[in-house]
Amino acid sequence: MSTTPRVPSAVPDRPAAFGTALAHQPAMAAAFGELYGTFWSHGALDHVTKETARLRNARITDCGY
Amino acid sequence: MGEQTWLIDAPDASLGAVVGLRPELAERYDALAEQVWRSGVDPVLLELCRIRVAQLLGDAAGAALRTPRAVAAGLDEQLVVRLGEWWSHPLFGTVERAALATAEQFVVDVHGVSDEGFAGVVQALGAPGAVAFSMALALFDGQSRIRLVFAAPSSAPGGAP
Repeated sequence: MSTTPRVPSAVPDRPAAFGTALAHQPAMAAAFGELYGTFWSHGALDHVTKETARLRNARITDCGY
Repeated sequence: MGEQTWLIDAPDASLGAVVGLRPELAERYDALAEQVWRSGVDPVLLELCRIRVAQLLGDAAGAALRTPRAVAAGLDEQLVVRLGEWWSHPLFGTVERAALATAEQFVVDVHGVSDEGFAGVVQALGAPGAVAFSMALALFDGQSRIRLVFAAPSSAPGGAP
């Protein structure tokens, strides 16, 4: 897996990262933010359970971020 | 009516029925999916990758589905029939091969998506298209996995009665 960004930042003067790459698709980025924000702020699961699953998923996929 | 599901509150195992159990999420999930299909990336290319992801994950229901937007854009069923031969069959061009190679690697082992391989996607689709394509793969992968997780064991071939 590369550690070099594969698409440039869409935000002037900001380095390429998940958010600045996603900004190439502003409507999609907004929709993703709405979904992700709702996931973390609503629902039947407590935050500890959600975060535990997120961290485990990140470890299994070896995502350092 | 789709497959049965062990979720007692869902009428069936269709993605809409399962995700619909959380209406606040379902609405936003649908909105994100809509943006993927409206991103400017060829819907036929997206559909081929969606079907291939479903095939690799053993999601027969997902592989059998057809997204209306892709059908309207001219999805050729011959391409679907030959999807397992994308790397050699003449029906598939450079763009399809770059996209399908990345889609397969995304499912099998995402760390195996190489700089060279993804450069082919960026070259074919541009940076905005490559971003949309990546989100599409995540969405398709998740859709198939959700569908598989919530299907009742009795609905799976060889599963418990």
